[in-house]
Amino acid sequence: MTTLLHGKSRTADDSGTGAKPPRAPRKAAASRGGNRRYENLAALGFLGPWFLGLVLITAGPLMASLYFSFTDYNLIGDHQWVGLENYERMLSDSRLHSALRVTFVYVFVSVPLQLAMALALAMVLDRGLRGLALYRSVYYLPSLLGGSVAVAILWRQVFGADGLINQVLAFFGIQGEGWVSHPDYALGTLIVLNVWTFGAPMVIFLAGLRQIPAMYYEAAAVDGANPVRRFWHITVPMLTPIIFFNLVLQIINAFQTFTQAFIVSGGTGGPSDSTLFFTLYLYQRGFGAFDMGYASAMAWLLLMIIGGFTAVNFLASKYWVFYGD
Amino acid sequence: MNHHSGRALPQRRRRPLLVTTAAAFALVMAATACGGDSGSDDGVVELRFSWWGADDRHATMQEVIEVFEEQNPDIRIAGDYTDWGSYWDRLATSTAANDAPDILMQEERYLREYGQRGALADLSEFGDHLDLSALDPLVAETGELEGQTFGIPTGVNAYAVLADPQAFEEAGVEMPDDTTWTWDDYVEIANEISEATDGELVGVQSMAYNESGFQIFARQHGENLYAEDGTLAFSAETMTSWFEITSALLEGGGQPSAAESVEIEAGGPDQSVLSTNQGAMAHFWTNQLGGISESSGRDIELLRYPGETENERTGMYLKPAMFYSVSANSEHPEEAARFVDFMLNNEAAAELTLSDLGLPSNVDMREHILDDLPPADERSAAFLEEITGDIVDGNPPPPIGAGEVVEITKRTSDALGFGDLTPEEAAEQFMNEVSEATGSS
Repeated sequence: MTTLLHGKSRTADDSGTGAKPPRAPRKAAASRGGNRRYENLAALGFLGPWFLGLVLITAGPLMASLYFSFTDYNLIGDHQWVGLENYERMLSDSRLHSALRVTFVYVFVSVPLQLAMALALAMVLDRGLRGLALYRSVYYLPSLLGGSVAVAILWRQVFGADGLINQVLAFFGIQGEGWVSHPDYALGTLIVLNVWTFGAPMVIFLAGLRQIPAMYYEAAAVDGANPVRRFWHITVPMLTPIIFFNLVLQIINAFQTFTQAFIVSGGTGGPSDSTLFFTLYLYQRGFGAFDMGYASAMAWLLLMIIGGFTAVNFLASKYWVFYGD
Repeated sequence: MNHHSGRALPQRRRRPLLVTTAAAFALVMAATACGGDSGSDDGVVELRFSWWGADDRHATMQEVIEVFEEQNPDIRIAGDYTDWGSYWDRLATSTAANDAPDILMQEERYLREYGQRGALADLSEFGDHLDLSALDPLVAETGELEGQTFGIPTGVNAYAVLADPQAFEEAGVEMPDDTTWTWDDYVEIANEISEATDGELVGVQSMAYNESGFQIFARQHGENLYAEDGTLAFSAETMTSWFEITSALLEGGGQPSAAESVEIEAGGPDQSVLSTNQGAMAHFWTNQLGGISESSGRDIELLRYPGETENERTGMYLKPAMFYSVSANSEHPEEAARFVDFMLNNEAAAELTLSDLGLPSNVDMREHILDDLPPADERSAAFLEEITGDIVDGNPPPPIGAGEVVEITKRTSDALGFGDLTPEEAAEQFMNEVSEATGSS
């Protein structure tokens, strides 16, 4: 069985090793000198923009932020080395703690829900519906839109006091709350928004489901296994690599959620800090309070948290992910 | 693997083309990467001007810019505007990226922060280009810090209660006499309006979302928000009684529920209970009267703050509404100064902005527009004149970090509104957070 994960790494291998072999015969066959140099030039030419981007846009700022995390950099003026002071301040920053709480709740609630939704829909679509391509696109659409400003604004309207949800509720005689403006529900609306963007994992699940050989199901059916058993004993084990892949990706994504919270709360993380995501608080410290040194330190804390979770995920995967071959 | 070697042959023949393509590609990438900022060759200087505000201000500013460009064909101004909330996020980000607008609007609570950090140009250095001689001496120096002038006040403002007489009439409640009304009257009237209209109209929009109102309250008690040295100048008791007023209104229904308030506040002045005809009173600056009157379609009136004659002294004050500032990084500071000069001293500009940026700080311009002000602006001019005699003193400039207090105030009000904090705890939290933000803890 080829899983998507494996499939991915395998193609990566292909191109990695594949780049060399053609060169050897070519070198032997080539009579003109400098071919290799031409080729290298071409490669550099194509790689150049990407490499420039990596250095200037990713690696440079990354290193700069690590450096700034040990300073009192305030965006505009000079900065001074303060050692671990920023990291120490985090220990007593109650808003940081509440931001961590909000973010963890968000990650732990929305990711499993989203994956469950994605798997459920993928299984429905996998039954070979007519117009599958259309459904696939339709369900995938929210994934493309979900992180956008427009959808966040739409969300605000839909869950607002006079929004669509409350109008529907009013039709049934229920007086709804201002969902996005009440601290008990605001985070809930953002979780729903994230669950709604189940399209991307769904498409991956769908590909994974396609890879499960039908003969397993046939054999199980002959032995009298009912659909529930077939799901738990064939589908789930065979899908574990895909589930794992989606889990890792979605957890990383969820930790970095920013746009939705920023737009829905108007950048405040309100009401009552109930939607103060880690990244939003980081932004507030950095660009609202000019506390860029602290914000940089926060960014590295987030990196460590995400790194930690991903590492744990990989370690734990040994015990539940089944790679078939 | 075969397909690789299969493809390699024709590829090799086209190799020169390949290199050319790659080089061209790299060049295009590099060119587009650096192609952001192109100075025009025709001798026209382009400047960016940033302001915050509601829709009516954006329209006015565009008109002002057109007039300026007509009179100064060598300068083009690109307007760059947003609402109050996003303005500071955007300014901070663009300043950090060395891409601050050439000319920008500043406010008391942020001016020193930016000035001290070297983000603003010293406007006293433009002598010929920027004439400051007609500035009202009351506010002329409010944009100074350690001998440097980081902002020129646009106009004069007062924080007041805006009231919609039609809403009062609909509720069958009489408009208060604002020269004598007490804080108890205020709560009573607001609750009465909500009750009389069965919640159709709300008495007053929450006043807890702006610390300017508390500043008046503190002054009425012989205290203030900040002392000269930037430390807190009020007692926890005063702030507790301030929050108790809001609690009384929440209990009595005189103000919207906490969740509703969150939504109303997020909407800015355009979504205030007055603008949407859903309430009778709201707290705003006098220069916002014009815009709010327009969006409400009604003749909104200005009332003095409650309690002005109830306590030790009066608390209302005049404040420089906003400041014109020039970015320290502007490539064309002289042209930028010329635009500020135009905004400040040109009659056509004054005729367009009227009292939207506060009653003009240039006394000649104030005189010039006073006679043909539209009704709302006329009311705010008259109101300012009326209260000026009763104002005891001005405020010391807010400390650096005061900009953060905007958010702290919002957060505290939310927590109070949703019942997470008692008025006493709210006062304590506010004081702790503000001391920390302004470095006086």
